Order: sequence, then C-alpha cells, then structure tokens
Amino acid sequence: MPIEIVGQGGAAETEEALRTAIREAIPDGEIEVRAAGPGHFEIRVVSGVFEGKNRVRQQQLVYAAITHLMAGANAPVHAVDRLECVVP
Amino acid sequence: MSLDDATRQQISDLVGQNRVMLFMKGDRTAPQCGFSARVIDILEGYGTDYETLDVLSNPAVREGIKVYSSWPTIPQLYVSGEFVGGCDIITEMHGTGELFGALGVEPPAEVVPEIHLTAEAAEALQQAASRTGDPDQHLHLAVGRNFQSTLSMAPQSPMDVVVEASGVTIMVDRMSAARADGIRISLVDTAQGRGFKVDNPNAPSMNELSVQELSRWIESGESFELVDVRTPSEFETARLERAQLLDESLYQRLQSLPRDTRLVFICHHGPRGVNAAEQFLGLGFTDVHNVTGGIDAWSVEIDPAVPQY
Repeated sequence: MPIEIVGQGGAAETEEALRTAIREAIPDGEIEVRAAGPGHFEIRVVSGVFEGKNRVRQQQLVYAAITHLMAGANAPVHAVDRLECVVP
Repeated sequence: MSLDDATRQQISDLVGQNRVMLFMKGDRTAPQCGFSARVIDILEGYGTDYETLDVLSNPAVREGIKVYSSWPTIPQLYVSGEFVGGCDIITEMHGTGELFGALGVEPPAEVVPEIHLTAEAAEALQQAASRTGDPDQHLHLAVGRNFQSTLSMAPQSPMDVVVEASGVTIMVDRMSAARADGIRISLVDTAQGRGFKVDNPNAPSMNELSVQELSRWIESGESFELVDVRTPSEFETARLERAQLLDESLYQRLQSLPRDTRLVFICHHGPRGVNAAEQFLGLGFTDVHNVTGGIDAWSVEIDPAVPQY
C-alpha cells in the first residue's frame, strides 16, 4: 500500500508561497507575510493598485491571488487573521 | 483551483435572481457557525427580504463561492449581484450605518424611545454597567424584529440613540429604537435566579378567532394559512377542508413566508393552537390567530359533518 504523504509544509515555505502568489498578481506591491500560528497568517501589502478602491475590493485583489493556497480541507493556509492593504 | 462552469452559473443565477443573497453555513433558523449567525441577526433587523444558501449541504458552492468572490470565508453577502462582504465587514457597516445604503433600506427616523426601569432594575443595570470598568463599554438594549430584547455591553456606535432612564444611560440602535418605545424593565426572581424582565407594549400578541369569523374568512376567500397543529391521526379523523397539517415541510414553508402573512392555528380545543401561535410570534410573525375552541367548536357550531372525537 502506498504511503500517502499529507502535509501542510513548513510555515516558512507557505509564507514564501504566499509572497510569490501575491507578487505575481501585484508586481509593484511591497509584501509582508508573517505566520501567526499553524495555518494562520498575517499579510500586509502596500501598492498603488489599491488606490480608489474600498476595503472589500482591495482585499479581493489579494485573496484572488492566494485562493489556491486556501482551498480544500488540507490547504496550507487555513486563515488570514489580518490582511492590511495600504495605499502608498 | 478552478470554478467549473455549472457551479459558476449556479452562483451567478443565485446572486442575479435574489436581490439580497447570503451564502452561509446552515439556514436562517439554524445557523451552523457563529459568523453566519451574526450576519443573520443583523439582516433580520433590517426587515428586508433575503435568500440564503447553505454551503454545508452544497460542497461545490462552498468552494466555488470563494473563487467567485475572491473571498476566502463564509458567510458572504451579495446585494444586486455585487459582493458586499463577510461577517466583519457587515458588522462594521451595521455599526456605521452604511448597511442601510448597501441594502437599499431607508433608515428609520431617529426616535428616542421612552424606557421605564423599576428602582431595583435601575440599580442592577447601573451595577452591571460599572462592573466592566471600561469607559468605552456602554449598556445597550436591542429589540429584534421578533421583539426579543437583548441587554449587552458594547462600544457606542454612530447609529446609537442615547436614552437616560432613572439615571441609567442606555444606548439603543436606531433599528431597535421604535420597537423599544414604552418598554418596561423590572427585576424578577425566577427558578434560575434573579433576572431582568422586559415588557414590551409594541410586541404583537396572538388574536383569538371565533369559528364564526373563521367561517366568514373562508367563505369570503380571505388570504391566510390555516395550520392544523394536531397529530396526523387526529387530522385523519377530522379536519377542515382548508387546513394543512403542520409537518416538517409545512414548517419550513411557513418560515420562508413574509412576516405579515396571516396565520391561523387550529387544534382540538385550543391550547395547542395557542402554543403554536406564540411560537410563530416569536419567529416574527405579526398577524397570528388561534381558533377559539378548536375543531371541536367548529363541529358543534359550524359544520356537524366534521366528526367530533
């Protein structure tokens, strides 16, 4: 019987995956990601793309970039405890 | 992670066909998570019609809506096809008053309700309020759409009306204010200990309906739901033609009706109908009647063809 490896990866790995995914969507963004507990993260992004958007639309830009890391029961990201979107 | 076409279409239909659409865990009568429950509580206060979809019984939508909205959490509220936000955002918009505009609901005029406290209740509330020791926490009274009252400590919000009653400062949100006018709060001893008792003169009460009046309503084609709350075997034995047996599916259907729908309850002699009527008042229905004397009175006074038992 094959051994199934179910793992969420290290927090550092996931932090990097989040940074990469956000950078792809918001290339000019200044991105900070911090693990806040197993599967929990805090994210801060500073970018001009947030200009003129309300908080929901700003956060949607970031969430759209990282949805794949939050999908399903074994997702490496269980929750984003804090998401700050800042206009420079 | 992708969103298949069928699910995308399903979500798009739901948000397109329902002006106010909430994706949640559970349903409005039994929310299955605290965040969904909080949003339901808030929405109920605005009196606007809304639809819900339970993502727990629909796994494709549960994952799909996250992609569709670019939003990772449930609940999610849509108005006129536009994503408004999740629990935190809705709570915040409720506090600032922005939710009126978002839901297209006219904010009620600012009413300063009159609140009456007995001396004992005033003292107990004052003590409870000062116990937190936090100057930003204020005593709040909320009166829901079903006239259920809640006392809590919370920070002041811009939508609060400030009331002074017997030296106690009470904040009432604007949605609650009209429903709170004339309210009386006293302190009573119950089996569970001392507690606050709230008497609200605005709360609708059940009406007794004579079998003669019921007969007139039926003949004149009045619109109402005639709900039989007896057991299935009693229903088999004797029933009014118009009556519907209150089973699980009827219960679900009634729950989804506008709260001003006229409901008429009937049982064998009356008491079970009163219980059911009170339960539906608690759900927020306002036009609620119980047939005095039940189906027995109907057999005696209106139609002997309906057997007595």
